[in-house]
Amino acid sequence: MEHVESGTETLEEVSVHRLDINFTGSGSEYFRIWIVNLLLIVVTLGLYWPWAKVRRLRYFWGNTLVDGDPLGFHGDPKQMFKGWVLVGLLFIAYNWASNFSAVAGVVAFVALGALWPALWRSSMRFRMANTSWRGLRLRFAGSVRDAYLAHLPPFIVVLPMVILSIWIPDDPEADFPRWVGMGYLALLALGVALLPWLLWRLKVYQQRHYALGPLQTDFRASLKAFYLMAMKPIGLMVVLMGALGLTIWGMFQSAGERPVAIAQLFSVLPFVIIGLWLLFFLGIRPWFTARVQNLVWTKTGNSRMRFISQLRFRDMLWLSIKNGLLIMLTLGLYWPFAKVALARLRLEAVHIRSITDMQALVAAAHQQPQEAAGDAAGDFFGLDVGL
Amino acid sequence: MQQATSSDWTLGSDRRLSMAAHTTGPTETLVLRYFDGRSSRPHQVQAWFDAGQLHLRGADVEHRVDVRQVQWPERTRRGPRMAHLPGGATLQGADAAAWDAWVQSGGRSDSWVVRAQQSWRGVLVSLAMIVLLMGAGYLWGLPWLAREVADRLPDSVENQVADVALGQMERFMKPSELTPQEQRAVEQAWQQVLQAHTAAQAARGVAVRPSRLLIRSSGIGPNALALPGGTMIVTDDLVRLLQHDGQVIAGVLAHELGHVQHRHGMRMVVQVGVLGFVTSLLWGDYSGVLATVPLWLGQAHYSREAEREADAYSALALRDADLSPAIMVTLFERFALFQQCGRSVLKPGASANTADCQPSDETRDAEEASIWGLGFASHPADQERIAFFRDAAAR
Repeated sequence: MEHVESGTETLEEVSVHRLDINFTGSGSEYFRIWIVNLLLIVVTLGLYWPWAKVRRLRYFWGNTLVDGDPLGFHGDPKQMFKGWVLVGLLFIAYNWASNFSAVAGVVAFVALGALWPALWRSSMRFRMANTSWRGLRLRFAGSVRDAYLAHLPPFIVVLPMVILSIWIPDDPEADFPRWVGMGYLALLALGVALLPWLLWRLKVYQQRHYALGPLQTDFRASLKAFYLMAMKPIGLMVVLMGALGLTIWGMFQSAGERPVAIAQLFSVLPFVIIGLWLLFFLGIRPWFTARVQNLVWTKTGNSRMRFISQLRFRDMLWLSIKNGLLIMLTLGLYWPFAKVALARLRLEAVHIRSITDMQALVAAAHQQPQEAAGDAAGDFFGLDVGL
Repeated sequence: MQQATSSDWTLGSDRRLSMAAHTTGPTETLVLRYFDGRSSRPHQVQAWFDAGQLHLRGADVEHRVDVRQVQWPERTRRGPRMAHLPGGATLQGADAAAWDAWVQSGGRSDSWVVRAQQSWRGVLVSLAMIVLLMGAGYLWGLPWLAREVADRLPDSVENQVADVALGQMERFMKPSELTPQEQRAVEQAWQQVLQAHTAAQAARGVAVRPSRLLIRSSGIGPNALALPGGTMIVTDDLVRLLQHDGQVIAGVLAHELGHVQHRHGMRMVVQVGVLGFVTSLLWGDYSGVLATVPLWLGQAHYSREAEREADAYSALALRDADLSPAIMVTLFERFALFQQCGRSVLKPGASANTADCQPSDETRDAEEASIWGLGFASHPADQERIAFFRDAAAR
């Protein structure tokens, strides 16, 4: 909070309230909910999915206490069922199209890409409109136009790629113009370089448009902060790849004969791949999760209230290792316990500081239409509102 | 027993409301917090049930609502309770045990889903049923579905897939380097078996699906494959490995015809598609890499099943042409030789004896053979297949 708005109150009179977030869910209870719902999903060949999802969300929301009061989830499974069917049909159409003809696949992919920002936005609107705290519904106030603008970076990369494809000869045997290949490489590099920018734009769009009663959040993280955050994992990958390349080069130098070097390479390659995979899932991913959550939520707030997130990497790392090991040892049965433990760690790392009397908020006048299709899309593609 | 009304959304249609409460008069009252949905200020209210109505009374609240219009929370061991009233108001109670007893006194009982969730026995039964259902679906359900879908698919769809598949295969293929006479010999041996088999099948009232044979030179080594749409490809190396033995080559092609006849290509597309979809739903949000493991295992399993079906078909076609299925044993012997000795056995007049080949051939060849062996993990073990053809000959 940088300024306290002047008005009737002066700085001395302002009292800052601390609102803690507690999570009271239990792994063993969620395990039982999960198993019974999984059975119903299997028996109904997936049709029960929206009902199971509502039950899951109500359990997680109801056990999330903000300043002692639970969140409420109000989504209607019948409505979510429609969205689930719609997204399922889109997905099947896309799969079929790409199976039978490359052109149809590209058309379907472009159509899906063009729809995506709108689905993403309506997913967040649905989530927020169906979440309540102390009797008040939350809102998501972002516009469709801004949702598309937030997705600008991938279009900057994909559009030139499509244009470049004009110069690709029809005959696959014919020579590829050299500059076209270089163009693709440059665009790919640009795409990687633009990733932090994309993440920043998406977060700016999300975090500026959450609202409860008269309070709407703002987002103050700079683009520079996102690039600084991305430096470490990208730098680590560059160093690792460099070391790997040098080692391989060294093997070829010392072995003398090529076949021997290749055989050596193939004998160590599986360990290298498993090592990189472990490093990603147990190291880089928890680190990134903790950093993004802290950066994003600590910079979210407005002149009356703000969030503070203090998620420690050490705790995330330990939990990821424990969860990953137990999920593998139990063939996936530990999954609901892992999910509850992760929710507890991430939620309880956040608290809210406010100078507004949170008991005196009044709902905004207008109501939100509910769009279940977007909510189902968010779930289907694994995209979800972070917290 | 009362049916839930349409305005009352429920998590299942199985909510039971006993109307016994009608006659017994008002229940005891519970002190709860009421939020009107317009302000975040809580109101303390007295709440009780009477004649199917929920009554709320507080300092500035006086409210009465049909219990069926209320979206009640499901009983869980933990967490506060929150009921959603029509119009956006909520009723909250921090004492879960008191709330549950109070709601029960109002005549509301748990759905069977909630009862199952609350008992470990119900959970264990559910888990056992999931394992059984998934196993059955994997062993019988999915192959059945794939066969039904593949049989009903219009030919135009299969032809489209066939064009794509052939286009992709042609990239690894060059025109055959065998002499025209050698190619004609293969073609003739196959036509003999095919015609005898087609006539025999016609007598049994079964139509043989159309197929065509292509002989190609390719880096994939000795191999034969069937593509969707009935195109069968046999490589020069396979013809060389079998030393131009027309009958064994015809047996291999009869195996490929089995794939064509059973539409294994299309069935595999359906099976792998559904399996991939299900595994990504179940495990996808934990790890994309782990989600592909069951997919690979499943694909190899279904592929072995398809190979067994094709072997049976090959034995049938050979017998139709008055040939013994036992000739197929030669195929496996020659393959074993190839794995041991590499490309040297493909030379004309190469010895059929492993002792004659040089184990220290080129390293590259040994490597090629081992990679080739790896690819064949999708086939049943050679010993099993040899035994099958010997048995088929004995019958």
